[in-house]
Amino acid sequence: MSYDKLKKLKDKYAIVGIGYTPQGKVPNRSALSFYVEAGINAIKDAGLKKEDIDGLICYRQFGALLNEPEPTPYLIAQMLGIQPTILSQESYCPRHHFVQAISLLEAGFCNYVLIIYADNGFSGNRTFVEEATHPEPKNDNYLYGEFGFVGDYALAARRAMHEFNTGPDTWKEIAVSQRKWAMLNPIATMNQKPLTYEEYLNADYIIEPFRKLDAALISDGGRACIVTSVERAKDLKNPIVSIMGIGEANPSIDIHQATYITGPTGAKKASEMAFNMADITLNEIDACEIYDCFTYTVEITMQDYGFFKPGEGKDFFKDGYTAPGGKLPVNTSGGLLSEAYFMGLTPITEAVMQLMGRCGQRQLGMAVGNKKPEIILCSDNGGVLQTHATIILRRQ
Amino acid sequence: MNTFLPTPTADTAFFWEATKNKQLKFQKCSDCGYVRWPASIACPQCHSLNFEYVISKGIGKIYSFVVYKVAFHKAVKDSLPYVVAIVELDEGPRILSNIINCDPSNLRCDMPVKVVWEEALEFNIPKFELNF
Repeated sequence: MSYDKLKKLKDKYAIVGIGYTPQGKVPNRSALSFYVEAGINAIKDAGLKKEDIDGLICYRQFGALLNEPEPTPYLIAQMLGIQPTILSQESYCPRHHFVQAISLLEAGFCNYVLIIYADNGFSGNRTFVEEATHPEPKNDNYLYGEFGFVGDYALAARRAMHEFNTGPDTWKEIAVSQRKWAMLNPIATMNQKPLTYEEYLNADYIIEPFRKLDAALISDGGRACIVTSVERAKDLKNPIVSIMGIGEANPSIDIHQATYITGPTGAKKASEMAFNMADITLNEIDACEIYDCFTYTVEITMQDYGFFKPGEGKDFFKDGYTAPGGKLPVNTSGGLLSEAYFMGLTPITEAVMQLMGRCGQRQLGMAVGNKKPEIILCSDNGGVLQTHATIILRRQ
Repeated sequence: MNTFLPTPTADTAFFWEATKNKQLKFQKCSDCGYVRWPASIACPQCHSLNFEYVISKGIGKIYSFVVYKVAFHKAVKDSLPYVVAIVELDEGPRILSNIINCDPSNLRCDMPVKVVWEEALEFNIPKFELNF
């Protein structure tokens, strides 16, 4: 299938406001409260009125914690005091939320779409294997002591070790470089916690071949952003960051049956679609914000994007190539591994902030020894490599 | 590790019934011959609803495996460390299981394995050990 029709969408839509909340460990807060605060802050940041918001897209919350009600879009809209034309809540995360937002804007259903993700996962002890705390088994995976994401991604990583000789020597580079970025980001959970190769390699495995340092953080907090047309963005206060290219692919097969877990994953197809729309090549990318639920996810994503050949990640990531001052900055907020976990909104909002020039000490440019970025490549991934999106953002 | 018991559904009842006789039973498409797992009403390859059952020989290889070093549930605390694996059976299907009776540090992907059965009330749970 040709995606040439998407070319007319190139640089037509923009992300015009970002909403942050306190993040990391923030006790005594409901997930709903983070949704509302992130939404308010995004509206404020864009310089819009709440009445302008006519589309609201929220993540399908993991099961609510701490005896709270589900934070549905109804509740969130009510608490924001808005009555949007379109409400949506689904599980395909920001990667699909942006496709949906662009579609709604292009078709004319909406003018300003607000996208929010929030959770109180840290204080609520979310394990991402929440079934495991459930007293009764819900599926036959339990029979084998198999409890979810960490083990499933570790299965993918192990097969990759076998097929193209990757492993902890590659992943330690990713973990350490991202930690260096986090140390420049005052709101990163790991801002005060330097990490050395030795500490990484001496850490215990949780599910071999993964250590805890290979896995994303679990965070309290929320993140939001607003999508509108570039035409409307011209009347707003922030520098314009446009969506230059976007692509999505959903190989969908469960990890236990999938054979694409060592690549090419959905990253390949999604990126071909996004780069086709943007009409650029990898050479024009100034920095990357790659969805990093695990270190291996960064490796396989960038490998499938074509930055290096299978197994060459170890050389690619070494010597701080992706760290502050490196040739290709990756995950400049610290990412999901070292900043905070807000699904695909952690990478995407960081790209927007970098392109707007609002990143303080970690701002890409002369100060950290990198080029001031014009084009940033973002990714989002979900399930166990079952779904992927590539989003290329550009400073106008 | 048999604190948990099989949870047969309308789709998987045939599979668990067969384990009572220590048989690994799968659906094979009558039209294209594809042996499928998980169980489903239709063949994901050709959409045919016609199928017959096949009994796997229980022989295959380790597609991938991990070693749990942390108990994500109290029921598995005494089993640590244990190996969770994707086993690729000779007939085609890939199933989740454990590799037992082994030193996890000696395991590698693609090693040959064979089924061994663990009792769980009226059912038997298919697990695997190295097959040399």
